[in-house]
Amino acid sequence: MMSFFGFGQSAEVDIYLDGQETRKRAEVKTEDGKKEKLLLYYDGETVSGKVNVSLKKPGSKLEHQGIKIEFIGQIEMYYDRGNHHEFISLVKELARPGEMIAHTSYPFEFSNVEKSYEVYTGGNVRLRYFLRVTIIRRLADIIKELDIAVHTLCSYPEMNNPIKMEVGIEDCLHIEFEYNKSKYHLKDVIVGKIYFLLVRIKIKHMEIAIIKREVTGSGPNTFTENVTIAKYEIMDGAPVRGESIPIRVFLAGYELTPTMREVNKKFSVRYYLNLVLMDTEDRRYFKQQEITLWRRGDKVRKPNIQAPAIMAGTQNLENTTAVYGQQRNGDQGENDSNADNNESQEAPNKEDFLRSQSNDKLNNSVADPFDQVNSSPLDRSPENQIQNMKREEGDGQNDVANENVE
Amino acid sequence: MPTVPQQISPVEEQEKYLHDALGVVKSQAFHMNRALDKNKLMDALKYASAMLAELRTSLLSPKSYYELYMAVTDELRHLEIYLLDDFKKDSKVPDLYELVQYAGNIVPRLYLLITVGLVHIKTNSSSRRDILKDLVEMCRGVQHPLRGLFLRNYLLQCTRNILPDTPESDVDSPEGTVKDSIDFVLMNFAEMNKLWVRMQHQGHSRERQHREREREELKILVGTNLVRLSQLESVTLEKYQKMVLPGILEQVVSCRDAIAQEYLMECIIQVFPDEFHIQTLTPFLKSCAELEQGVDVKKIVICLMERLAAFSQRSDSLDSDGTTALQDVQLFEVFSDQVSSIISNRQYLPPEDMVSLQVALINLALKCYPKRIDYIDKVMLSSVEMFHRLGLDRLEYHSSVAKELQKLLKIPLDAYNDILVILKLKHYSGLMQHLDYNGRKALSIYILNNALENDTIVPTPKEVEQALSLLNTLVCEENENPIGDIDLEELTEEQCLLARFIHQLKSQVLDEHYLILTVARKILGTGGPLRIKYTLPPLVFQAYQLAYKYKNSNEEKWEKKCTKIFEFSHQTITALVKAELAELPLRLFLQGALAIDQISFDNHETVAYEFMSQAFSLYEDEISDSKAQLAAITLIVGTLEQISCFSEENSDPLRTQCALAASKLLKKPDQCRGVATCSHLFWSGKSLASHKEEAHDGKRVVECLKKGLRIAKQCMDVSVQVQLFVELLNHYVYFLEKGNDQISIDILNQVIKKIKDELPNLESSDETEQITKHFNNTLEHIRIRLESSEDDLIYKGIEI
Repeated sequence: MMSFFGFGQSAEVDIYLDGQETRKRAEVKTEDGKKEKLLLYYDGETVSGKVNVSLKKPGSKLEHQGIKIEFIGQIEMYYDRGNHHEFISLVKELARPGEMIAHTSYPFEFSNVEKSYEVYTGGNVRLRYFLRVTIIRRLADIIKELDIAVHTLCSYPEMNNPIKMEVGIEDCLHIEFEYNKSKYHLKDVIVGKIYFLLVRIKIKHMEIAIIKREVTGSGPNTFTENVTIAKYEIMDGAPVRGESIPIRVFLAGYELTPTMREVNKKFSVRYYLNLVLMDTEDRRYFKQQEITLWRRGDKVRKPNIQAPAIMAGTQNLENTTAVYGQQRNGDQGENDSNADNNESQEAPNKEDFLRSQSNDKLNNSVADPFDQVNSSPLDRSPENQIQNMKREEGDGQNDVANENVE
Repeated sequence: MPTVPQQISPVEEQEKYLHDALGVVKSQAFHMNRALDKNKLMDALKYASAMLAELRTSLLSPKSYYELYMAVTDELRHLEIYLLDDFKKDSKVPDLYELVQYAGNIVPRLYLLITVGLVHIKTNSSSRRDILKDLVEMCRGVQHPLRGLFLRNYLLQCTRNILPDTPESDVDSPEGTVKDSIDFVLMNFAEMNKLWVRMQHQGHSRERQHREREREELKILVGTNLVRLSQLESVTLEKYQKMVLPGILEQVVSCRDAIAQEYLMECIIQVFPDEFHIQTLTPFLKSCAELEQGVDVKKIVICLMERLAAFSQRSDSLDSDGTTALQDVQLFEVFSDQVSSIISNRQYLPPEDMVSLQVALINLALKCYPKRIDYIDKVMLSSVEMFHRLGLDRLEYHSSVAKELQKLLKIPLDAYNDILVILKLKHYSGLMQHLDYNGRKALSIYILNNALENDTIVPTPKEVEQALSLLNTLVCEENENPIGDIDLEELTEEQCLLARFIHQLKSQVLDEHYLILTVARKILGTGGPLRIKYTLPPLVFQAYQLAYKYKNSNEEKWEKKCTKIFEFSHQTITALVKAELAELPLRLFLQGALAIDQISFDNHETVAYEFMSQAFSLYEDEISDSKAQLAAITLIVGTLEQISCFSEENSDPLRTQCALAASKLLKKPDQCRGVATCSHLFWSGKSLASHKEEAHDGKRVVECLKKGLRIAKQCMDVSVQVQLFVELLNHYVYFLEKGNDQISIDILNQVIKKIKDELPNLESSDETEQITKHFNNTLEHIRIRLESSEDDLIYKGIEI
C-alpha cells in the first residue's frame, strides 16, 4: 500500500540456496498443472543459503519489525483451503527489528532437516516444502517464498516377492498371471507373463493399466480419486488355452510417485496394476493388484550389461506347456520358503479352482475390486486364492485415461 | 450429409478400406521421412507409430492386408536406413530399444521393436543372441492370426541375413551360434503355424471354404520359416536329425490340422536336401502315419519316394557318395515298413490310396534297385495281404482301386519288358486275381501285347504253363462270364493276339519244345470251340515245324519222335473236328500230309494216308456248302498233286476218289471245274509207282477234260457254258504245251468254234466282256506261239 502511494520503502527479497547452480532439480507439478523445475533436496539434507534483500529506493531506509526465514513442509487439501497442515515448520531469525539502509545479505542454515515426505501434487491434495522469508512490518509484511522439491529415497526392499495369482470366471476364462515383483522403483520394469488355462470367451485384446488411487481425509470426509496413469496393450487378438503372453512395462515413461501410505494421517497414494481383458463385445474383465512404488537413489548400481532391463523377462520365459508345468512346480518350492508373503502361496490345483466357483462374483459389476485382495490377506483360505475376475458391462471406457504414448 | 450407399459390394468395400489405410500410411510416412530429414528422431518415431497403427485393422482380407503390410514395411526401411547411419556415429540404440517399448499399442510397438532390434544387431553383433530371443518371445503378444502372421513374417524378413550361422562351440558366444538360429526359427515357426491353424476355427462354419481359401493364401508365410532353416549352412545332417526335423515334426503332428500338415510335410520334402531325407526317413514317415484323417498321406509319401528315386538315379551317374548313402540306408526296407504301418494305422485311407502307395513303392524299388525283383515281389505280397485284410476281392473294372491295381501290375512289365520276369514274381498272379474278369482280361491283353512287341520267347514248359495260366481269362472259358455276353469281334481280336503269342512259345532244345507244345495244348484245349479255333492251329503249325527240325537234326530217334509229333498233331486237329469245325481241320490235315510227305520218316506213307483220308472224310461228312465243297476238293487235289510218297495202291484210290468227288459236285459248273482240276492229278501227280516222277497219264487227262466238256454242254446258262469252255480251252492248251500227245488239235478247234459261235449271242455285260477278254487272250497266246516257234508244230492246223 505504501508503495502503491509512492512513498515508503520497499524491498526485493531473493533467496539464494547454496550450490544452487550445481544442485539437481526436479520437475514438480503445480496446482494448475504446470511443471516447474525445483531444486531437489533429500531427507536430512541441510538447507542453507543467503537471503538477499535489496531496497528498491536506494538511499531511503526500510523499517521492519524483524526478518525471519522459515522452512515449512505442509499438506494442503483442496477442499479445505484455509487449513494447511504443517508437518514441519522451522524458523530462523535473520534480523532483529530495526532499519535497513543498504542491500543486505543474511546467511541462513537449516541443518540436517528432516524431510520425511516427498513433494506431491495430486487431484485433491498437495504436499509441498518451501522457504519463507518474512520482513515484518507494521502495515504489510514483505514475504518471499521459495518452493523446493523433496524426494524420499528408499533402499532396495528386502522382501520383494513376485505377484502370482490364478484368476478366472467360471467356465469362461481361467488365467494365471505373474508379475516379477511386488515392489518397483520408479524407473523399474514390470516383467511378467499371463498364462491362459481356459479361454471360452472371445478376447479382443488385453492391457495393463497403472492406476493411481489417491485417498484424502478421513471418516465422512474421505475423498478417493482413481486416475489411470497408463494403459499399455500387452496382447492383441484371442489366445487359446496354453498360450503364455509376456508382459514388459517400463515405468520410467510414466509420471509416477512413490507409494505413500497415510502421509501424516492426511492422505495416501497407492498404485495398482489392473489387468484388463476386453472381449469382442467390449465387455471388460479385470483384476487389480497393488504394487508398491519406491524411489531409488540415482547412483545405486549400473544395470546389468549382459541382460539389460530392456530385454528383461524374455530370457527365462519358455513356451511349451511342459516347461510351464515344471516351472510351476519350481515356483511352488520357492514360494513355500516365502510363505509369509501375502501374495504368493502355493500354486492351487484344479480342485481348488472348482471349489472357488462358489465365490463367483461375476455379476457384482461394481464391487470393490480390492475387497479380497487387501482387506484381510492373512485369513485367506487356500480356495480363495483363485480370484474371480471382475466383469464390467459397457463400453470399457469408464476410466479417466491418461494416454501415454511416448 | 450423404450417407454411404448401402449396396456396396464386399470387393468394393475392401478396396475402399485398403485405399483409406494406404492413404494414411502415405501421409504418415511422408511426415516421418520429413522428420528424419530434419534429424528429429522422436517425431519420426511418432509418425512411424501412427503409420504402423494402420496395421491394427481388422477390416482387411489377407490379400489387402498384405498390400498394406508391404506399403508399411517399405516405409519402415527408410527408418531402418536412417537409424543405421545415425547409430554408426553414436550408439544410443539400447535407449531406443527401450524407448520404442513405451508405445501403448502392441502392434506398432513390436514392429518398431523389431526394426530397432535389427539396427541394434547390425551395429553391435554381441547383442544378437539376446535380441533375437527377445524379439521372438515378445511377438507372442499378438495372438490375432492375421496380424500375428504378418508381424512374425516381418521378424523373419528382417532377420534373414543376420541369423547366426556358425557351428556350436563350447565357448559362450553372445553373437549366438546356429543353435540359436534354429531355436529362433523353430519357435517362430511353431507360433506362426499355431496362428495359421487357428484361423480355421474362427468365424462361422458356413464360411469354411472362404476361410480355407484365405489360409491357402497365407501358407507361404508359414513355409518361409522352413526355407530359412534350410538356408542355414551350419545345419549339418546331425543338426537336422537332432534338432531341426524333430522340432518341425513335433509341431506338424501336434497341430492336428489337415491343411497345415499336408502343406508342411510337402514343404519339408521340397525344402531340405535329399541327402537329409535319406537319413531321416523313419522319423518322417512315422510322423506321416500320425497325421490327421483328411491329410493326403499318399501324396506326401509318394512325393518323397519319387524325389529319392530320382536322387538315387542322379547320384548313380554322378558320384559314388550317393550310392553308398543309398546302400547304408535300406531305402526300400524303410519305406516298405513305413508304408505298411501307414496302411495299417490309417483305417480311413481309401483303398485306392493304399494301392497308390504300393505303386510308388514299386517305382522306388525299380529305380533304386533295378536288380532286386524280390523287392517287387515283396510289395506284391504285401498288397495281396492288404486286400485280404480289407476283404477286397474281384475289384470292379472301372473302380479307382482297380485302376490303381492295374497300374501297379503294369509297372514291372513296362520296366522290364519281359514277361519272364513277371513269371518270376511269385505273387503277381495272386495279386492279379483281385481284379474282376474284365480287369484281368484287360491286363492279359496288355501283357500279351508287351510280349509280342518285344518278341519275348517263352522257352520252358514250366514258364509256358505259368504264362498261360496268367492269361487265364483269354485262354479258358470263364464260368463267371456268361457266354451270351461275348462280343465275337472282340474275342477274335483277343484270340488273334494269343495265337500270335503261341508262336513265341518255343525252345531251342527240340524235346523241350515238344513238351512246350503238349503243355500248351493241354491248357489251350480248355478254351472251348470259340477259342481253340484260333489257338490250336498255331500249335499244329509249330508241331509241323518241329518235325522239320527233327528231320534236320542229327538226332537218332528223330523218326519216332516225328511219328509222335504227327500223332499229337492229328489229335489236336481232331479236337478241332470235335468242336464242329470242318474246313480248318481239313486244311490242317492237308498241310500235315504235305509235311509228312516231305519229312518222310519211317512209315510216313501210312500216316500221310491217314491225314488225307481224314481230310476226305471231313469233306464228305462235314462240308455241305457247294462252294466250300469245290474249294475243299480243289485243296485236296492240290495237296494230293504235291504228295509223292504214296504207292500205287494208295495213290490210285485217292486220285479216283478225287475225280469221283469232283464229278459228284452238285452244280454243273462246279462239276466241270472240279473235273478239270482233277485232270492235273493224272499228269503232274507223283507216286512211288512213277518213282516220284510226274505220272503223265495223258489218256486219263483227256478223259477228264472230255468229261468236263460234256458237263459244260449241259449247262443251261449260255454265258456260264461259254465261260467253262474258255476255261477248258485253257486246260487243253496247258496240257498240249506240256506235251500230252493225247490231245488233238481237232478238239481245240471244236472248242474254239463252239465258243466263237456262242460268244456273239451273249448279252453284253461285264461278265461277257470278261469272258471275251479271257478267250481273246487265250487265242493271242496261241497265235504268239504259232508265230514264234516255227519248229514247234503242236499247234499245226489250229483254226483261230
